[in-house]
Amino acid sequence: MAINRRQFIKRSAGAVSVGLVMPRFWMGGLAHGQEIAAANRRIFLVIQLGGGSDGLNTVIPFTDSRYASLRPTLAFKDTELKDAQGNSTILGSDPFGLNPAMGEMKSLYDSGKAAIVLGVGYPNQNLSHFFATDIWSTANTTGAGNGWLGRYADQRLLGLSGLSAVNIGGSLPKAFFADKVVVPSISSFAAYTFQTDGRFAGDRNNQVNTFHATNTRTFPVSSFAAAIAHEGITAADGAAQLQSAVASYTSPVHYPVATDNPAPSQQVIQFCAALKMVAQIVTTIPDANLLYVQLGGFDHHSQEIGTNQDNFTNKLVGAHANLLRAVSLGIKLFYDDMEAHGLADNVVMMTWTEFGRRPNENASHGTDHGTVTPMFVVGNPVQGGRLYGQQPSLSDLDNAGNLKFKVDFRSVYGEIIDKWLGGDSQAVLGARYDAVGFLT
Amino acid sequence: MASLSFDEGAHLLRRAGFGGTPQEIDELSALGREGAVDSLINYNQIDNSALESLISANFNLTGDGINNGEIRRWWFTRMVFTKRQFEEKLTLFWHNHFATSASKVQALFMFNQNMLLRQLALDRFDNLLLKVSQDPAMLIWLDSITNVLGKANENFGRELQELFTMGINDVVTGEQNYTEQDVKEVARAFTGWNYRRQSPFPFQLTANQHDNGSKSIYPGTPWAQTGNLSGEDIITIVSARPATARYLTWKLFNFFVYPITSSAEDKATIDRFAKVYLNNNHSIKELVRAILTSDEFFSERAFFSLVKQPSEFIVGAIRMLGGTYNQGTNQRGSNTLSTASRNMGQDLFAPPDVAGWDFNLGWVSTATMLERFNFANTFLTNRNTGNPGVFITNDQLRSITKASSKKTVKRFLSRLGPLNAGEAIGLLRTYLETGDNGQPVTYVNDDATVDKKIRGLVHQIMCLPEFQLN
Repeated sequence: MAINRRQFIKRSAGAVSVGLVMPRFWMGGLAHGQEIAAANRRIFLVIQLGGGSDGLNTVIPFTDSRYASLRPTLAFKDTELKDAQGNSTILGSDPFGLNPAMGEMKSLYDSGKAAIVLGVGYPNQNLSHFFATDIWSTANTTGAGNGWLGRYADQRLLGLSGLSAVNIGGSLPKAFFADKVVVPSISSFAAYTFQTDGRFAGDRNNQVNTFHATNTRTFPVSSFAAAIAHEGITAADGAAQLQSAVASYTSPVHYPVATDNPAPSQQVIQFCAALKMVAQIVTTIPDANLLYVQLGGFDHHSQEIGTNQDNFTNKLVGAHANLLRAVSLGIKLFYDDMEAHGLADNVVMMTWTEFGRRPNENASHGTDHGTVTPMFVVGNPVQGGRLYGQQPSLSDLDNAGNLKFKVDFRSVYGEIIDKWLGGDSQAVLGARYDAVGFLT
Repeated sequence: MASLSFDEGAHLLRRAGFGGTPQEIDELSALGREGAVDSLINYNQIDNSALESLISANFNLTGDGINNGEIRRWWFTRMVFTKRQFEEKLTLFWHNHFATSASKVQALFMFNQNMLLRQLALDRFDNLLLKVSQDPAMLIWLDSITNVLGKANENFGRELQELFTMGINDVVTGEQNYTEQDVKEVARAFTGWNYRRQSPFPFQLTANQHDNGSKSIYPGTPWAQTGNLSGEDIITIVSARPATARYLTWKLFNFFVYPITSSAEDKATIDRFAKVYLNNNHSIKELVRAILTSDEFFSERAFFSLVKQPSEFIVGAIRMLGGTYNQGTNQRGSNTLSTASRNMGQDLFAPPDVAGWDFNLGWVSTATMLERFNFANTFLTNRNTGNPGVFITNDQLRSITKASSKKTVKRFLSRLGPLNAGEAIGLLRTYLETGDNGQPVTYVNDDATVDKKIRGLVHQIMCLPEFQLN
């Protein structure tokens, strides 16, 4: 296991070229709106929160006296559960409140668009970042093999546009590791183009043709060279399509940028920029239905809250609050953007993180690696505004002092595969798990 | 003494360094296998004063001037100009191994850690591990400074065992090397580790934050110990475990030789080299020497079996071609190289997480491949030779050309590997002999052709799958 956990030579095995045929309306001048918002379109956006986000500091069991005693520095009181506008973030009559940094998520919850699944984990949870991430990415507890979205893509996306599944970012997350489909990673549209010598525009065709010819030679099956060539061709061809498509994007939604006043945090800017890229892709490329974004930095062993000014005691600001604010705001802006493009009924979003954190805080105003974590599932198709699953007891912890899971994360995956993506969860996950119920 | 062919010398220099010109490869190959490896490993004997003068004249690395941009520019400048290539490569190995990031640690401490890594890169592993663990960068990075009596922070204790020494499961036997309880006990041994908040920021133990109670580690195994164990004790105990010898060997093989599989043959190989570590007082130098002189290192399986790291792709192209890098001056430098490397997935001084970078296909995505192709284009088409940045002149390129298109293609493929590119030779010849409208033209190595088609040719070679491999 240790040997293979971060290798995936199989990715190129038997790789076939995904069709890169230009959809007809890209050539013509048809209005995008109608085509893009096809009634049967099923867009799925996965949001990975890397590092192990503190679930107890996200969906807060504020009435539990054990919560307060385990977290003398970190615990919120009910009176503190108010967002920046002073609105309560307590979830109706339930004994939970959202972190005050998540005001936008609270509004989505209140309007029935956001569901929260409590107590998510799996048997014998692994406390290593890398094993745990592999387990969530592959949907099996050995963490070995292809990604669950990659398996889905191999089964369902062959023959579609090369941009039918897209990762926003520099490196491909393991969830997308596949045998047949190459999923592009795009970190910036400007850089996503095959450049040639600007001085000799007349030679560009020769350059592009030579690149194509040398990279479509036959390479040994399963070799690095084969995988590299396949990835390179996908990149160069996809780049041309992408450039022409996303140029047509317009939106009334403003995603935060560094020049805003007041200046947003780096986390907000970066995460919102990634979601804007997702919006640009899904509103201009009708096959682009499986999207992935990541936000890292959740490994808060220390200084989870506060800043230098408050000696790391102010729960309303600081490292975790910054990240949760980015998640909450980004998701809301993206939701609004989809609504503006007539796509709100066509999008489901899901957050995940490799583990939650230890209920008992450490001496660094932080928390060590833990187990269960809540998941957010957001979108018009979701039966939102309510809690699913079950919060584990803070009085019945495991030997390491961690929460015991109540809902297997593969139940959430399976429900999305079966009820939203039109796939077969048995075929993708290798077993069928009980549905949670957030999709009808 | 085993002889060393030109191709073997080129392989050794690409792996133990970044690659070189034909002259450098010839000089290395003439020393034979053991002699060549010795010359790379005994880098302290190589005069590097030209680089040190250039660094002191063009960098501000003092306490108030240092920043992340400056230390990245500094490291790439070293990689491009050093005569001690193995020093930079092995430092990169340890940087990846101890995977500390500027995302949490200030630039001065990142720089100091890098200096420590190069200073102890070939020392006993116990000593390297101890000094890195007691250095401010690591004390901050894995929260040792807030790991205190009664409220242990497990971050360092966990990663010490999972990532720096043994791995969760033994890479040969598959046995679990430690338990969650061991993580807790080990964390207690490191309580109170801190550093003085005054230059040169030495390590100190905060006595009243240290847990002097009894700790029990690895119960029921041959390495079981109980007592008032200190952090130093833990490092000594863990460094002596065969699991650590195997894990380090496994990591060195994956970095320098070829991807290790879970086959019985590979497990036997790891076990064999792990004994070099155990039989030589945990000497990194002897382990590395054994690996670099081994038949495994020079086996057919090893050649071009790894995907180039971004830093290897960038620095290698410059060094092999004889390109020019103008690093700029104090705080006004060129970070062309570090920016390109970051975009390709390797942001020096900021590995993605505590496990370091994901190698081989971990470097390969559509975004990172486009970055490689586009760096090649930038390198080859940058004609602003007066400014900081990386470029190659027409004269430098012309010196590599030949009168015929076929020989020219072969010469550049040899220069950039040597690469065995099969059918690509014909395709690249066709490129040289094709004009703007797709019509055939006759190849001549005149100025105009060099500036247009030879630049294009080298760009194309750098986009070959073969050139992405090491």
